[in-house]
Formats: sequence, structure tokens, C-alpha cells
Amino acid sequence: MQISGKITDLHDGQLLPFSTVYIIETGKGTVADSLGNYVLRGLCPGNYTLHCSHLGSDEIVYYIELRDDLLMNIHPEIHAEELGISEIQGEMDQEFRNQNLSKIESQQLDELSGKSLAESLKTIIGVQSLNTGSSISKPVIRGLHSNRIIILNNGVRQEGQQWGNEHAPEIDPFIADEIELIKGASSVRFGPDALGGIVLLKPKALPDSVGIDAKLSLSAFSNGQQGVSSGLIQGKFKALMPLSWRLQGTLKRSGNVQAPGYYLKNTGMNERNFSWAMQWKKKNYGIDAFYSQFNSIIGIFSAAHIGNLSDLQLAFDADQPLESADFTYEIARPRQELNHELFKLNGYVKAGDKGKLLWTYARQYNLRMEYDKHLPLNDSLAALNLPALQFEITTHSAELVWEHYTYRSFKGSLGIAGLYQFNTYEGRFFIPFFEKNNMGIFWLERWNRPDSKLEVEAGLRYDLTNQQVFIWQDDVLTNPEYQYRNISANIGILYYFKEASSLRLNFAKAWRPPHVSEMYSNGLHHGSATVEYGDVNLKEEEVLTGSLALIHSIKKAGINIEIYHNYFSNFIVLQPELPPTLTIRGAFPTYRFAQVQARMNGMDAELYYDLTDALKFRSKASFLAAWNKSDNEYLVLMPANRLSQSIEYKFQNKSAQRRFFRFTWDSVFKQNRVPEMSDFVDPPRGYHLLGLSFGADLKYGNQTMSIGLEISNLLNTSYRDYLNRFRYYSDEMGRNIMFRINIPIHVK
Amino acid sequence: MKCCKCFRGKRKRGNWIHAFELNPLKHIEMKNSHILLSVISLSILFQACKKDNNEVDNPPPVQNEEEVITTLQLTFIDQAAIAPVVTATFRDPDGDGGIGPDIFDDIVLQNGSVYSVTLVLLNETVSPADTISIEVLEEADEHLFCFSPLGCDLSILRTDSDGTYEIGLESAWTTGVAGNGTVKVELKHQPDVKDGTCEPGDTDVEVVFEVIIE
Repeated sequence: MQISGKITDLHDGQLLPFSTVYIIETGKGTVADSLGNYVLRGLCPGNYTLHCSHLGSDEIVYYIELRDDLLMNIHPEIHAEELGISEIQGEMDQEFRNQNLSKIESQQLDELSGKSLAESLKTIIGVQSLNTGSSISKPVIRGLHSNRIIILNNGVRQEGQQWGNEHAPEIDPFIADEIELIKGASSVRFGPDALGGIVLLKPKALPDSVGIDAKLSLSAFSNGQQGVSSGLIQGKFKALMPLSWRLQGTLKRSGNVQAPGYYLKNTGMNERNFSWAMQWKKKNYGIDAFYSQFNSIIGIFSAAHIGNLSDLQLAFDADQPLESADFTYEIARPRQELNHELFKLNGYVKAGDKGKLLWTYARQYNLRMEYDKHLPLNDSLAALNLPALQFEITTHSAELVWEHYTYRSFKGSLGIAGLYQFNTYEGRFFIPFFEKNNMGIFWLERWNRPDSKLEVEAGLRYDLTNQQVFIWQDDVLTNPEYQYRNISANIGILYYFKEASSLRLNFAKAWRPPHVSEMYSNGLHHGSATVEYGDVNLKEEEVLTGSLALIHSIKKAGINIEIYHNYFSNFIVLQPELPPTLTIRGAFPTYRFAQVQARMNGMDAELYYDLTDALKFRSKASFLAAWNKSDNEYLVLMPANRLSQSIEYKFQNKSAQRRFFRFTWDSVFKQNRVPEMSDFVDPPRGYHLLGLSFGADLKYGNQTMSIGLEISNLLNTSYRDYLNRFRYYSDEMGRNIMFRINIPIHVK
Repeated sequence: MKCCKCFRGKRKRGNWIHAFELNPLKHIEMKNSHILLSVISLSILFQACKKDNNEVDNPPPVQNEEEVITTLQLTFIDQAAIAPVVTATFRDPDGDGGIGPDIFDDIVLQNGSVYSVTLVLLNETVSPADTISIEVLEEADEHLFCFSPLGCDLSILRTDSDGTYEIGLESAWTTGVAGNGTVKVELKHQPDVKDGTCEPGDTDVEVVFEVIIE
């Protein structure tokens, strides 16, 4: 394997010839050629520390987990006029090294273009998705989702109605150039409530050099006749050197999707997103502005709307959905209409060689409108065509962080974060009006000495959360207030016992206040034919987690295994309750939010083996057992165990352009670990899916575009997945053929 | 590259606007910045659309739900006018969920009789109560009532029509021998799919009454 790339100035993109690059672990190095190109050959997979130095800049250190040939461009910060001033700045983010960090790199994201965020994240081992039909899907990290994970859109916690199982994250994945995922409660940086993990969508750094860049991504999917186009244009003008800018937008449209043998009625979707970013950067300070808007209309599978239990029974018993359809792009009722806006301002001020002060302010506005299947019977009401239910939530958040540079092998930050949120609703009651205030302080440090095989990272955080609820009861407004305060902490220890092998041990404590939806839900769920009640006496949910990971590689093979244990106190679950609720629509099963002690044990393992230089085999496995200790039964709605194998053939060619052929085989077992009497029907049986993909980089002029063809569910297998809430009503999507093309355009 | 360096140098003297004017490419760049500035101001305009909403509605938000049905009333009139008029009611005054029904009558009928039955649906969460059955009648081509007796000697026929199919707001119940059983009363909402049978559509009402035939 090899690492190669170009070394250019961080500011103006000027080529930096004859820089030195070397790898500490192998002691081997090289000098870049006259065009700034470098290649380090003959490397085995493993963890490496890469140093790069150039006259006039400080040494840059990159930590690399090498799995495959790596293209890495290095951008030292050169101060032509001020040689000798010490400043370390590399483009690579070195945070979270001591945690279980997985990445979807830019190239991989290109291969996934057009897929939803949750679908993209599923390529990472230990991540599944919780679906509502084919159009709504949200990420599940090791069995945890919704309020138990944090999604960071460009550095800002995504705040919407993420508590709902049928509320997918309102994010355009095309904003990101790279997606990172931290599994488990292992960082307190972004909040105390990352019990399951953190998803970070990272846009590319704004351009440093003068010129205009553009990128166009187009993809087409056969199933649903979906088309996605996304474009980006960015640049910097000579006349205004400190300023860089970017504009980005995405259009997505899909019609009714097809399960093997039939169309799913009203499953189209329509998405229109755009964003812009601006950066003003001087030597000692910088300011960034970012704005994004996400708009979507999502059709909800019609046959999944049911009146009562008898309808549900009929739907179970039917081989095919009771409502049939043909292909159409039209989206009727029931549907969701969503709108999410994010505006962010952030900046930094450098304080000499001590460190820098970073600040962020963000405002988010989220509008969610849910339209029922039927219009009101009353004609004048029907004419208004209003959503049955509408939520508006606005969030203001701000953060101030002092980041100190390495001091006696310690590098870290101290910060304070605040959040203000207000939620309103219109139409049917589901959750009340509420106001939330949160204040947190955190301190993170990392200890790491170049000569040491050990690295330690730790964090501590204290949060104070205040929730005030405004609720109408019999025309009287009451406003109970709830206060929560608690500590979260994490420690991660990384030990390199051999050149390319390491052990990592993590411990953490995380917590979250109960969400208003868990305290105040009160009513009938039409999708699931259940009546749900909240409990106002819920306390904070807490988790203690520990994990141990082994990364070991030999010449042509390697393994990456992590075992974990989560111990929850006051885990919030929906528990069935007797008797069923009797209504004019019949009797409905009743659930109430309750708190239990729970434990989750799991393992994620990955193995790779290079049969030859061209033929690579990779295997992944993830297992999870989740147990409710209080009631001595399994926890409901946990992902089933799964295995995934892939074999990739890489065409060898002189021009070093990527050309590959990949075959994948995913197996999902039946989820047997379910509580008794918790569900209307048994979990669906396990299934196997085959996939095939082909990708190539093509040169045109001096640019490289990439094209790809992918077939998922190759055999058009009929199957149902336990984590799809519409498994009662229909099979999953059938075969889907995707074609994509990603064209970069560079105008100097 | 050269220009950029020169620009940086001038800026150091503390007057970058001056440096800007010295630049021979001024006009082109000015134009560029203008385009940029207009693009950005346009974008900011877009943002100005959605305001914070942090007001608690007073009075509370109105439910614009499809319909709230709290009450089902059946009135039985003996066609022979021998047996007394009977009514049977199911009433859940706060709608689905919350507190359960406060009235849930048994249907007590005389054996060997034929009753004309009228069905009324009410929404009693509003005052005065809204008669939902009138709206059902207005949309008769989308609605069908289904009656399923079980365990007792009872036969039920719908006697009204939407022009093509029956509705069920009016029906005739014929009792046989004395005995106890149940009858399930359903309202099916069948927009565009009404075919006279009970299979298609969603269930808006489903109440199982105890039946006592004396």
C-alpha cells in the first residue's frame, strides 16, 4: 500500500516542492518532488504517524489508520513574511483520536451520492437505520437513536423534533465532504446526551487559493425513478483575499417505490436544499458564516394508515398491501412537510503560541407539518387543507471555547455552551408547548508524547437543564417547570503495543433529561394503532459505558474488534399496559413511558484480507444483546445481528486511476431477542441481500470525474426488516439500480 | 500569485482600500465582488423568511383533525309498535384515549320483533354537539356502516342508499329467539373504494355492544 499526495500552502494553494515527509513507525521518509508530489510506498495496513515539514512552517503531524492506498494532500501553513513563528495547523482534525471514530471519506461519499444520511451511515459497522417505510430513515448506533445520539451539522447540534421514530434528520448529506461517527458515549464535547454516539457532518474547508471550483453530482435510481442532482460552487477572489465563499444546492425527487411484485402507494418524496458559506480569514482571527435550508415533502405509505386494530389485523393477514397503486411522482395524503433552517456564525482569535479562542452562535428553525390521510368531514375545515399536526421549534445555541496548544504534552480545551429552545404546536395535541434552557461547561485534555506508546484523553462536563412546559388542561394553562443537573465524563486510553497494532480502552458516563414527548405524550398513534401515555415523573436517564478495542494488522490482513457494555439506569422505554384503551374505534393496546435498569452488550468486528494486490476481501459482523433488568426481558426494537462480506477487484492500470468491481453480501438474522407480548406480530425472518457495484475515475482534460453503477437487492428478494415500522404492511424495496456521476470543475 | 503577495504587502501598511485601487485588474474584480455580494445578500434575504415562534397559544390550538367522534347512538323503534322504543349509547366524552367511556349501554330487544334502527354519531367535545352523522350522510359515497351480530339470533339489513350502495344510517333489525350475544357496529371510511362490502377502507368507528334478546 502507499500514501501519496500533493503538498500545497494552506493559504494560497501554492505548490511546496522538496518538503520532507516521513513515517515515525517505519522510520522511512521521502522528499517531495519539484511539483510538491510525494509517494510513500510499501506500507502495510496499520496505524501510522506521518510527519511533514517544510522550510518556513512548523512540522505537521497526521495520525493515519491505513487500510488502503491513501491519497492525502498536505497543507502546511506558510508564513513567507514571518519565518520562524511557531504555528501548527494541519487540515486534518485530530480530535477524537482516542475514541471509536469511523469515517466516510469524500470518495466514499461520492459513491453514496443520492442516498439519505441514515442509509449512508449504514456502511459503518454497528450502525443500522430505523425506518418508517422507504422514505423515512434515521440512524441507529448500536441500538440507540433519536434523543440518544447527537448529529452535528457543520459543528452545530441538529435540533428539531428528533424524538419521533418517524422523524428523520432534516439534513442534506451533500453538505458534508466527510462524515465521522463516534460510537458509544465517548465524548462530552457536544453535550451530555450522546449516549449512543455522535454523527459529524463535516463540510470541506473553504478554498485557500484564488479561483473558482465547482462540483456536480448527479445520480439516478431505477426504483422510485429517483433523480438527485447536487451542485457546489466555491471560490476566492484576488481582490478580496481574506474572503472565501461557497454556494451549494440539492434537488431530489422520487416517485412511488416498488417492492418485489407491487408498487407502494404514496411513497414519493421531494427535497430542495441549499446552503451558502463564507469565511473571512486573517492571520490571527477568522470568521465563518453558514446558512442552510432543508425543505422536503415525504409521502407516507397509504396502506400503513389504519383506523383500528381490526384494520391492522387485516393488513397483517394480507400478502400484499390492501391499497394498490401504479407509479406516480404525485404525493398525496398522508404526508410530512418539513423545513429546517440553520444559520451559524463562528470565529476564532489566536492568542500567540498559547492557544486560540473559538466562539459559535447558531440559530435553527424547524417546521414539521403532518397531514393525515383524510380531510376533515366538515367541508369548511376540509377546504382549509391544514395539516392535522404542526410543530415549530426554534433553537438558539452559543459556545465559547478556549483551546490551548500543546503544553507539557497536554493539549485540550475548556468551554461553555448554552442553548435556548421553544416549541409550539398547532392542530392535534401530541406534545405541549415547551421552553428548554441548557447551560454546560466542559474541559477536555489529551496527553500524548511523541516517544510514548500511550495516549490518554479525558473529558468532564457539567450541565444544567431547565424545561418548562405550557399545557392546557380544561381551558386552564399550567406551566410546570423541571430542572436537571448532572455530570458527564469520559476517558480513553490508547496503547500502541506494536507498530501497526493498538489497544483502546474507553469509559464514559452520559445522561439526558427526559424529553417532553416522553413526559407528556397522550394519544393515539395512527401508524402503529397504539395509545401512548407519557409520565411527568420521569427522571434523568444515565448510562455507564465501557469498551475495549483491538486493532491489529499483519502484512496482508488485519482485524478491528470492539466489545462494549452499556449499563443504563432509568432507561426510558415504552411499556405495554393493561387494560387496553377502549375508544369509539375499538380497543387499542396501551403503552406508557417507564424507566428501567437495562444493560446492552455488543461487539463490532471487522476483518480484511488482501488475497492479491488486486483482490480484497472484507468481512464485518455486529452483535447486540439488550436486556431489561427490571422486568427480566429483552428490550424492544433493537437491531438484529448482522454479517456483511464484500470482495473487491481493483483493476491495475498505469495511470493510478481507481477502477473497481465490488460484490457484497449482507445477512441479517431474525431478531429473536424481543420481549414477550410486546408486538402484534413476530419479528420478520432473517434475510440475505446481494449487491454489485462498479466504479471508475475518468480523466477529462486535467480533471478526474468519477462514475459508478450500483445494483442493490440484486436478486429482487422479498423481505421485511424488524427495524422498519411499516413491516406490518409491506415488503421492503426491491431491486434498485443506481447510476451516478461526480464531476469536479476547476476554474483557475 | 504575485498579485496576491503584493496585495498582502500593501495591506500591511494599514490601508488595504488604497492597495485595492492600485490594482490594475480593479474593474474585473469589483464586478466579481459585486456579483458575490448580491448573491450573498440574496441568500440572506431567503433566510429572513421564518421567524422565531415562542408564544404559547391562548386559547389552546384548535384540533383540525379529520373528525372527533365521541358518541354513537342507536334508536330502536318496533315496526309493529308493540315493544317500547329502545336506545343504546356508547359515549367517550374526551375522545380517543384519556378517560374511557362514561356510557356504554347494552342493547336490550324483544324476541321475534322487527326494529327500525336509526344511527346517530356525535362530537360532544364541542358545544353544542356536532352531529357527525349528517356529515357522513353528505359523504355517503365514501362511508358504509357494517353490523356483525355474534352468538344471538339477530339479522340486520341496511335500508338506506347513497344511490349506488347502502349506507347503514338506517337499518332493520330482526330478532329471533331469546338469547345473549354481541353485535359489532363499524363505520368504514372508503373514499374512492366503496364497493358495498366491508373490506376496503379504514375503520372510523368500531363498537361491540352486548345484545340481550328477551
